[in-house]
Amino acid sequence: MNIEPSIHEFGGSKELPEERHDVMVVGGGICGMQAALDMGDMGFKVLLVEKEPSIGGVMYKLSKTFPTLDCSSCISTPRMASTAHHKNITMLTYSEVKEAIKEGEGNFRVRILEKPRYVDSAACTACSLCEKACPVIVPSEYDGNLSGRKAAFIPFDTALPKVAMIDLDNCIYCGACERACPVGCIDFLQTPKLHTARVRSVILATGFRLFDAKLKPTYHYGEYPNVITSMQMERYLSPTRPTHAIVRPSDGKEPGSIAYVLCVGSRDDTVKNPYCSQVCCMYSIKQAQLLMGALPLADIAIYYIDIRAFGKGFEEFYVQTKAMGVNFVKGKIAKIEQQENGDLTLFYEDIENGGRLSKSSHDLVVLAVGIMPGKDVAGIFKNDELKLDPIGWIKSPDEAGSPMVTSIRGVFAAGTAIGPKDIPDSAVEGSGAAIDAVAYLWTLDRERTGAEKKGGPS
Amino acid sequence: MTEDKRWPRLGFYVCHCGGNISDYVDVVKVRDALAEEPGVVVARDVMFACSDSSQNEMIADIKNLKLDRIVVASCTPRLHEITFRNVADRGGLNRYTYYHANIREQTSWAHRDDKEGATVKAIRHSRAAVAYARLSEPLESIKAPVTPSVLVVGGGIAGIRAAIDLADAGIAVHLIEREPFLGGRTAQLTNSYPQDSKGSEVAARLIAEARKRDGIAIYTNAELVGLDGYIGNFEARVKLNPRYFKSSQAKTSLPEQLGGEAPSKFDYGLSKEGPVLMPPFSGAYPELPSLNMEACSEDCARSISQAYGDAVDLHQKSESLTIRAGAVIAAAGFDPYEPKEGEFGYRTHPKVVTLQQLHRLVELKMLKDVHNIAFIYCVGSRQVKTGDEDVNEYCSRYCCNAAMSISLVLLRMREELGGDLRLYHLYRDIRTYGRNEVLYEEALKKEVVFIKYSEEDPPAVSAAGGRLTVTVKDLLTVLDDKLEIPVDMVVLVTGMVPKQSNDALPQILRVPKGADRFLLEVHPKLKPVETAMAGVFIAGTCQGPKDVRETLASAQAASSKAAGIALMTQLELDPFVASVDPKMCNLTKACAAECEYGAIEFKEFPGLGEKAWVNGARCKGCGACVAVCPTGAIQLKGLSNEQLKAQIEALGRKVEI
Amino acid sequence: MVMAQQFEPLILVLSNTPASDPGIDFAGSRHIHYPAMTAILRIPCSAMIRPDVILYALTHGFDGVCAAGDGPECPYLGADCVTRTAKRISEAQNLLKEKGIDPGRLRMSGVCSVCGEAFAKCVRNFSNDLKKLGPQPKPDKPKSGAGADR
Repeated sequence: MNIEPSIHEFGGSKELPEERHDVMVVGGGICGMQAALDMGDMGFKVLLVEKEPSIGGVMYKLSKTFPTLDCSSCISTPRMASTAHHKNITMLTYSEVKEAIKEGEGNFRVRILEKPRYVDSAACTACSLCEKACPVIVPSEYDGNLSGRKAAFIPFDTALPKVAMIDLDNCIYCGACERACPVGCIDFLQTPKLHTARVRSVILATGFRLFDAKLKPTYHYGEYPNVITSMQMERYLSPTRPTHAIVRPSDGKEPGSIAYVLCVGSRDDTVKNPYCSQVCCMYSIKQAQLLMGALPLADIAIYYIDIRAFGKGFEEFYVQTKAMGVNFVKGKIAKIEQQENGDLTLFYEDIENGGRLSKSSHDLVVLAVGIMPGKDVAGIFKNDELKLDPIGWIKSPDEAGSPMVTSIRGVFAAGTAIGPKDIPDSAVEGSGAAIDAVAYLWTLDRERTGAEKKGGPS
Repeated sequence: MTEDKRWPRLGFYVCHCGGNISDYVDVVKVRDALAEEPGVVVARDVMFACSDSSQNEMIADIKNLKLDRIVVASCTPRLHEITFRNVADRGGLNRYTYYHANIREQTSWAHRDDKEGATVKAIRHSRAAVAYARLSEPLESIKAPVTPSVLVVGGGIAGIRAAIDLADAGIAVHLIEREPFLGGRTAQLTNSYPQDSKGSEVAARLIAEARKRDGIAIYTNAELVGLDGYIGNFEARVKLNPRYFKSSQAKTSLPEQLGGEAPSKFDYGLSKEGPVLMPPFSGAYPELPSLNMEACSEDCARSISQAYGDAVDLHQKSESLTIRAGAVIAAAGFDPYEPKEGEFGYRTHPKVVTLQQLHRLVELKMLKDVHNIAFIYCVGSRQVKTGDEDVNEYCSRYCCNAAMSISLVLLRMREELGGDLRLYHLYRDIRTYGRNEVLYEEALKKEVVFIKYSEEDPPAVSAAGGRLTVTVKDLLTVLDDKLEIPVDMVVLVTGMVPKQSNDALPQILRVPKGADRFLLEVHPKLKPVETAMAGVFIAGTCQGPKDVRETLASAQAASSKAAGIALMTQLELDPFVASVDPKMCNLTKACAAECEYGAIEFKEFPGLGEKAWVNGARCKGCGACVAVCPTGAIQLKGLSNEQLKAQIEALGRKVEI
Repeated sequence: MVMAQQFEPLILVLSNTPASDPGIDFAGSRHIHYPAMTAILRIPCSAMIRPDVILYALTHGFDGVCAAGDGPECPYLGADCVTRTAKRISEAQNLLKEKGIDPGRLRMSGVCSVCGEAFAKCVRNFSNDLKKLGPQPKPDKPKSGAGADR
């Protein structure tokens, strides 16, 4: 959502009584949930803050996961449920951390702004009658703009908390939702809430953002309708997909020839991202396998520089995909041109044939967009500097010893907040940051009491 | 049927799994068929049974429809049985009365070619789960005390990192290492990426940290030989092999006659070692030498006595040690792939070395007058299976990055190596993923030539005419001819394989191996460091190839999980253990003879005399005793003989759809 | 026999929780096909199989029973699991002979946690062999539900 209020704009908003927690986990994706669950299981009190209306991160949007092809929502929804129901975890969704001021070791004062949903979350039963009544249709962020949603809406089926919200930017104030709501929970006068908390440690699991494909003008994303991103393809392939068939946007035709362009926004100094994004080769290979199931007659070509199938079971998955008949072409795509019928011409350097310029035609092109550092989190630390690497990922001062520590003692960072990585590595780091925070808290207690007295959960 | 004994009231839920099930199984037919089963009060089909809204719907049903049992037919119980037991719990039912039908992994996914068959099978499985739940009795979990300590197996960087974290969390740690010194394979690296530091320094820093902490007991020359017990209460048997050196007064320089001729393990055979092993790097622990008695003759023993006097005790014997721990972390490491004799000239030509040997050559400053070096990638990785022999089909993950990183080191050393230096990288794909890409980018700007070869036509190494030559077809040129590159050295970029000396480990830990023969996690995303053996976790490269950073992260994840157990005051275990109906027991004692865990005892029962009795905390619930009881007096809680037969009847019954 | 052509035998797979059950899951996850006329029943360990349970299955609708063993990596009994399961199976086969049932209707097979291929192959072969044996006579009075006579 686009609401970005600052604390000062809401000087009049009610400041809530200060809460105390052992750790604040920022980000409710797979990594943040794992960190919160591990610490909660060890008896620590966790405050989990998520900026989106639901926890779950990017993973819940995905179709299936590589290389095991298990369904992503089947894996993430129970994780979301156990996080939401954990007795030691307090969740604040649709909320942003505005300030984290370290006032001493084990003592951070944080201010969190909870954005208004214009719905009383406690009373809403997620009956979706408001959604049905609302006359406004806008593109759905959840479906990568491939489908529509209402201005009064529930973010997605398995959202947690499952609560309706009103998108005031697009609302026409007709009052239809208010009339439809059986419990009267719609409240257009809701204001942001400012939460103040004192936490003893912080775990940053703030994730990544996808590369904006429009920054590669020669691929004409956003201009040619049949050039889509890999995240949009994820939605097409997902069990909760927006359409029942895979169709190309321009004319609803079932695509017969699909091309993947790898390294869009990765390994590319022209967009200031020299890193490899670590996941695009594998998710493209996975999508190719799923497409072969969904569109048995379609030809699929993957234009790559190097296929990076490096993780556990990845190479085997790549070999299997080659054997299934996906066409792997070692070539860098220079530009894409649209033909009259909406088909696309790819101009590429055919590396295995001496690097001569070749052309090919496809009716749908998927840009395998890379992953970039998330929104700047360093700014929330007012008194201390959170060090980042030149690209903007949070950097550990001691990667060869403690990869999840940061330049601020008591603040840890994990998952795609510290570099591109896949789901297993993100989950591992979530757990790893949890033990870092636990070790920090126990060490502080020992330092304080100066004796063997055990500290631990407050 | 008696009047007062009614069926329990059952709720049945079949999951679409967003098409994963419903694309192949007609879930509506399953729902309707199950609605006919005795006791089923409500049968519903739901899009995602595991979603929060479905869970809440079940809880509402339990309350509103006064259900006594719920059954869900969805994916494998390994993913969601606990989820739905928790739902039963939250709904106020006994969690162990819940039962689960597997209709995804064992039905819809397996029978995509036979939708009708899949639907029939789903109905069978669902009926069986309902039949089970109808007969399920409320059970209480078994409470067991927890030993508040953790055993870490392996003293490389993964094991040391885990030990430090656990000690900081206030948990006692036992760290055992089979070799005489801590540090593992990282200590052998001259350089590790991406932070560009010396491996021995990385190891030494962690060792120093571990030594600062009182809570870590370190044992070297210590071998895990057995593991008994269960989560919360393991008992490890450890063999402590004698070190013979007992005092740090021992001289650091070796008497000449002890030099020895055996190839050094630490230097991958590039240097020689004798029977006395000195600490191999600065910061190694212990600082004591260790004597390899097998390599020590009587003469040698005499010289050692003379040279070291009281600092040695040649009469030391191996000892056995029992370590009690609440959880175990296996951080047992890897072996580098050892090329076969003649594979790319390995061991037939002295200038053909492995990547690991190159690290030692640089570290030992043994590289001189080398100007042209060929690196051949993917040696021992990404192999293609042709026969029955095990091959390494996997990619070893770290080797592209490592080859790139050490090439940059060599280029920095150019002057030392004799000035002119040219590196040829013969690769299949360059996999410098993530931030490692900058290493590749840097190499591309320097005197490194990249040549892509095809797996069908790998490079050939020959030494004809005394000149080492690599012949390769470059896929990136249009030239038909093969390139002939005269070189001074060939580096085989060898990957990681499961550690050979760990062969017995899977059996000792009772942890399965994957298809790649590395130790297997339960689920790569949901339970990435957990194993099939509850309470045993895996860290680092014994799970699969990883670099230094990834190894440390996985060690921390494993220590988080182990801490979760060790910090508990008591553990709740599933109550699925054997129990005896003393009235039916006729004291054949066959059960006790069958029990592997000594869980069956004999007690006096008032009015019945001596009868068998099961110690629930010891029983693991395998049911071996159940099979041999002639009267059926001993049965498993949670799977009675009656429940078994009821399920069989439900599975075998004809299905009409 | 005319029946033989259409006869699809129904197989009960006794699958142990630590090894075979994940192995059978593995077959499904990899979409390795095997006959759908199978029913899978989870038990903790193959060494708990009672001969009378096998007889019960073969008189209650099943044409064959496959005992999927844990193999030597059994978390309960280790390598001894195989020996013990084999003993239970041979006892059961004797019982079947006594009751005039072909002991070929009972088969033991080791299915490890990644043995998806092996499992599918075993079930396919067993199914073919059972086709040759023909259907196992069904009980005279099939019950309408578990414990309906309770």
